Amino acid sequence: MSWLLFRANVGLMLLIFMVLLALMAQSSYAIPAFSRQYGTSCSTCHIDFPKLNDFGKAFKDAGFKFPKDDESMLKIPPVMLGAPANAEIWPKAIWPGTIPGIPPIGLRYNQYFQYTSASRNQINIPGNTGPYIPATDFETGFFSIFTGGNFGSDIAFWVDDDISVSGANANGGLGEAYLKFVNLGRLIPKLPAHVLNVRVGQVELEIPFTQAKSIWISPYDIYSQANIGVVNPAFNQQFVNNAFAFAGSGKGIEFSGGLHTGGYNYSVAFIDQTTTPGYAQGNTNAYVPTATGSNQGGAGIASDSNFKDIYTSFNYRFNLEKDKESRNSIQAAGPSGPRDHTYLNVGTYWLYGRSVQRLTGALLDETSATLTAREPFYRVGGNATFNYHNLQFNALYMYGHDYNLLPVDSTGALVPLPVTGAITPVGFVHGSPATFSGGFVDAEWLPYPWMYVMIRYDAVNSNSDYHNALVPGGFTNSPFNGASSVTRNRITPAVQFLIHANIKATAEYQFRPSQSLQLITNPITGLPVAVNSFHTNTLVLGLEYVY
Amino acid sequence: MSRFTLSAVLVLTLATAALAGTIAGTVSPGKSSVVYVDAIAGKTFPAPSQKPLMDQKGLVFNPHLLVVQVGTTVEFQNSDNVQHNVFWPSISGNKKDGHNLGTWPKGEKRPFTFSTPGVVPLLCNVHPEMSGYIVVSPTPYFAETDASGNYKIDNVPDGKYNVVAWHEGSKPQTKSVDVSGTGKADFTLSK
Repeated sequence: MSWLLFRANVGLMLLIFMVLLALMAQSSYAIPAFSRQYGTSCSTCHIDFPKLNDFGKAFKDAGFKFPKDDESMLKIPPVMLGAPANAEIWPKAIWPGTIPGIPPIGLRYNQYFQYTSASRNQINIPGNTGPYIPATDFETGFFSIFTGGNFGSDIAFWVDDDISVSGANANGGLGEAYLKFVNLGRLIPKLPAHVLNVRVGQVELEIPFTQAKSIWISPYDIYSQANIGVVNPAFNQQFVNNAFAFAGSGKGIEFSGGLHTGGYNYSVAFIDQTTTPGYAQGNTNAYVPTATGSNQGGAGIASDSNFKDIYTSFNYRFNLEKDKESRNSIQAAGPSGPRDHTYLNVGTYWLYGRSVQRLTGALLDETSATLTAREPFYRVGGNATFNYHNLQFNALYMYGHDYNLLPVDSTGALVPLPVTGAITPVGFVHGSPATFSGGFVDAEWLPYPWMYVMIRYDAVNSNSDYHNALVPGGFTNSPFNGASSVTRNRITPAVQFLIHANIKATAEYQFRPSQSLQLITNPITGLPVAVNSFHTNTLVLGLEYVY
Repeated sequence: MSRFTLSAVLVLTLATAALAGTIAGTVSPGKSSVVYVDAIAGKTFPAPSQKPLMDQKGLVFNPHLLVVQVGTTVEFQNSDNVQHNVFWPSISGNKKDGHNLGTWPKGEKRPFTFSTPGVVPLLCNVHPEMSGYIVVSPTPYFAETDASGNYKIDNVPDGKYNVVAWHEGSKPQTKSVDVSGTGKADFTLSK
């Protein structure tokens, strides 16, 4: 087939695709959990699900309720768990609450098709034991259930769970599951109600841009960045194996306050450390009581450290409407109707934790012992968002720092890594820290209520990721398949179409970071250097629906 | 005004009243259908002074269907504590007659005078599930059907008219009706 003919065919297919979308995009009435209760469309709260608009943010801030007159908005009245007058005789009665009139259940499913550029064949080399990478591939995504709402008395709840991932049943996991005590500031004299909320359970940290509810198919690279120190013996090695990444959820308690529709908002959270691979599913040690009192099969102990990671964030959002009334409203009053504010949001965040590594060693008296490196680490950064009507720009920067506790023997000399047992470690000293940095910027434009055009630039700078790839065929030892430079850049243009308010078609092209399978020795430094880099770009098409 | 003129007006009025009849019938699919006498060539009618209310409460337009005579000023009200918008993309499919009334806070009313007859589909661009209709009749002779689909238009002068029936989601239907004291027209509307 000639190139011109190929282009003509592709153009025809795209045209047919667009026409089909247009034909399908008729009246849309989505019915996820809250839509059913309030008899309203997904687009009341979402720009492009799951991304929230200003009203959706206010709904969430209020504890999954309409900020005002919630009761009059409910089409399905809640079930009373006690008449309201019981509150007057408390503590002689249970404080009255409610449950939703119908189970507030939503379901979500997505599926994908991926095309991988021809450079995949540099990985599909004969003798490569890795999985074969096809040019095209169909893939089921995840099927998940989510439920959320309000129990009255400003107590909100949320649970979401991936029932299956990639077609494997029960292979998913619990996303978030929490109770949120909202507007506790009302109990504090002279303070606004929204000054304090408490959330307890398994939560996604209040990171500047949500990963769990992102509209992008591909994750933010910086949020997936674990800090694995240099293990390549050609370089100064680091004893860092910190699996923590912002993309995951944490178990703990969070104090928060403020509003996401204007002014300040903050979060202070204390979560189990989750840096040790293998501990995430719980320790079923038979000699310690578990949360459910069962030695085996009960809820285990999910962390192996007393220390709780501490996360804080602070944001301030400046709504920029000239009219004061509009500026202070949940949504701005545009000439043709309410819309998201024109605003500038700036924020900062910080996480301090300790990763844990254990190895067999000895005490100074040569008694055999398990040595534990409790390695302090922190992540810090800033974020900004500028929104002008239907155009939004987002940016995030992160710096990661792990202190790198190196094992030493009884003479104080460094124990060569990896620790093999030939030399017995007895303690740790600080080495040069393992650091990384990076972030992303993106632009998101909504030319029509059903069409989102986006582009994102991701960058991650990690010396250790680069160094770890510099071994012959070394991409198998690197978590990033052979990063060929210190900085991994990715540019991702994307377009999304809401076929209905609850059905979405997505196309995302990833100009992926350069990779390398070949290296040479730098004649000056004597160190390996990646050469002949290539990009394995991918086009991902997705179909997703919630109901 | 002289006595003669007064007497003449009185006689004419009584005569007209004596000649006024009714148009009645049924409309299928029934409830919430509108029947009106279409424009009468060479005849105009003064605009009514009443200002009917179209409310937005509980994320719905209330009433869902409002029938008014052309020239009527309708007052749109937001009774919700959330922002609403009112717009109509067209009147009887004519996009040039589309209009956006904008946004206003709870409790306030915003008037609009409908000078073009036709069907006005009301929407809110914040809550796309919200839907309402205003049927602007070109004459004062209109009626809304009852729960059984029956209607009755009173005070229609004797004559021959085009009578239009409309129901949400159905194609409107026009029938020619002779009114001589009474006129009858049944409609079966299809989608």
